[in-house]
Amino acid sequence: MTPPIPPGERPTLRALVPVPLLTAVLSGLAVGGAVAWAPESVRSVFAWGGGVAALLLTAAVAMGVHAGQTAEILGRRLDTVAQDAGRLLHERARLAEEFSQERARLNDALIRERARLAEEFGRERAALAEEFEQERRRLTADRTRLAEEKAGLAERVRTAESERSAAIAATANAAGRMQALATGTLADLREMEERHSDENVLTDLLHLDHRTAQAGRLADSIAVLAGARSGRRWARPIPMESILRGAMGRIGGYQRVRLHSSSEAAVAGHAAEGVMHALAELLDNGANFSPPTAEVHVYVEEVPSGVIVSVEDAGLVMSDVQLRRAERAVSGEGAGLGGLSGTRLGLAVVGRLSRKHGLKVSFRPSARGGTGVLMLIPQDLLAGASAPAPTPARKGEPAPPVPAPVPTSASPAGPSYAAARAALDMDPDPVPTHESAASPDGLPSDGPPPGDRAPGDPAPGELPSGLPKRRRGHTLATAQARTRNRVTPRPATEPRRADDARTRAARFSSFRSAIRGPVPDQALVQGTATDTPAVRERVPEAVRDDAAVRDTETAREAEAARSTDPVRHDEAAASSPPRPRPQPRQQPHQQPQSQPHPEGDPTS
Amino acid sequence: MSRPGRDDAPDRLYTLTGGRSRSAPDTPFDLVTLVVAECDPAPGMQSEHTAILRLTERPTAVVEIAAQLRLPVSITKVLLSDLLATGRVSARHPHKAAVIDLDILEQVLVGLRNL
Repeated sequence: MTPPIPPGERPTLRALVPVPLLTAVLSGLAVGGAVAWAPESVRSVFAWGGGVAALLLTAAVAMGVHAGQTAEILGRRLDTVAQDAGRLLHERARLAEEFSQERARLNDALIRERARLAEEFGRERAALAEEFEQERRRLTADRTRLAEEKAGLAERVRTAESERSAAIAATANAAGRMQALATGTLADLREMEERHSDENVLTDLLHLDHRTAQAGRLADSIAVLAGARSGRRWARPIPMESILRGAMGRIGGYQRVRLHSSSEAAVAGHAAEGVMHALAELLDNGANFSPPTAEVHVYVEEVPSGVIVSVEDAGLVMSDVQLRRAERAVSGEGAGLGGLSGTRLGLAVVGRLSRKHGLKVSFRPSARGGTGVLMLIPQDLLAGASAPAPTPARKGEPAPPVPAPVPTSASPAGPSYAAARAALDMDPDPVPTHESAASPDGLPSDGPPPGDRAPGDPAPGELPSGLPKRRRGHTLATAQARTRNRVTPRPATEPRRADDARTRAARFSSFRSAIRGPVPDQALVQGTATDTPAVRERVPEAVRDDAAVRDTETAREAEAARSTDPVRHDEAAASSPPRPRPQPRQQPHQQPQSQPHPEGDPTS
Repeated sequence: MSRPGRDDAPDRLYTLTGGRSRSAPDTPFDLVTLVVAECDPAPGMQSEHTAILRLTERPTAVVEIAAQLRLPVSITKVLLSDLLATGRVSARHPHKAAVIDLDILEQVLVGLRNL
């Protein structure tokens, strides 16, 4: 397609006009001449024909001129275009050449740069490799050195460990021996206290006793911290009062400790020492951290989960931080020996002991202004509803084992060994802890006289089922009633007089042995220990009650005459060492034991 | 028999008396003084006091109380002094005439021989 022709390049009207105009003039002249020349007749036709021919000629000429001029313009443009094309081709060739030159140059530069970079990289890598190698050598050396150090340290740790365990074992051993020494010394002191009646000597002995008890506590503390087993094992439950007093006796300021306990709970023997020791440490803390004149009060409260002992002092109030630290110490979590200081072993000891026995110790501000410590002795450390009488607990030997047979199942084969012994040994305890259904004095069917019991008061210990049941406080009453009974049926004056003489003799013998004190002779000590109470219990009763009851109880004389007087029998048994002698006389008394009482048992 | 010191009670004698080992010089107790309880034991009392009050429901000599409690006589006297000071027991001396009797002395002799 040809591009549109620009207006300047069209053939101009001025260039087109002259030639057709000239043609028109000439052809007009020719036509006019021809017409003028031609006959008249054909003139008009001729004129018209000549005119048209002249017009056509003029038009053709004009067309020819226009075409020629257009061709000339086009030829010029064609030349221009051809020149442009040549110029462009030339330009393109030049550019191509320049491009190839540039490319070659860039190629060279690239190659050079690449070589340089490669060389640089190689150098760098070599340097790094060398550096790495050096580092590795250094680290290897370090590692070797560290391994040697580690071996050395491990060796030292092993040595220290073995030294530590050896030291602890030695400490535990020494503490155990100190404990044994202290225990032995305490026993010796107790014996001396029994032996020396001089009050000055006793004072000194008590002083020594106190000192030794404190030394024993320190030995106990060391033993606990060293992980040795605790010092003493009690073979029987220890009542709470003894626990508290045992704890109190081991501290310096025991005279400032006030006990408020009516609890009859008892701590099982295996835990008693630990509980006592922990309490002693808490009491010592309370006494040490309160003014020298302030009292430390100890309260005992029985709760369903055990027994709570609270130690309240009026000393320094512990801050929250101190309370938390103390609680952490007594919780037994920090079981290590680290952080111990020489003067404050107490809480760590309490922690060890409470962890061992499951005690729970907590601190709180006390209403007395100081610090209160609560120690919960859990139920499983308590010996249940233990024997309520504190007196037998203090004795070396328990009350004679008198079983409580069910009356309906009393053995028909005769009295048991214990029952037989009971009549001989005569339970020295004024408050018997167990009452046998068949009373040992051989008067089971007597029962207390009706006058001794308030009207409407049911027979003690009589259940609908007929089983015996012990009631608190009734044992004492029945014991007295029985004693009175036993004395009353004395029939005549003559035996009573002899009896009086005999009782007085027995009294004198007990008096003499008591004055003499616990003689080293063990047998004699035992004799007085068991015999004296028996005599004591009966004699004054006999003296006092005889006159009063003799008149009213004559009705019982026949019954009493049936068997030998039990009092005399008891005294004979008590005052005469060869015991087998009264054995045959024992028999008639024990016969009724196997017969169940018609009303159940009145005395138990 | 258990070894001494193995099975006795854990409380020491000085804890029973608060450290006192002698009674005041004007206390009337000697070995044969008869002691009678004047009241029943109250809950919360020291167990030795309770035991003494139970023992002395009938007149009882000091030495018998000591033997029964298994305590030295001095300690027992301190305990009795406490009770006497609070009026819980009363003390009187036994009759002297009762002892001067040939029959009794004879019985004493028999008893001593039997020992």
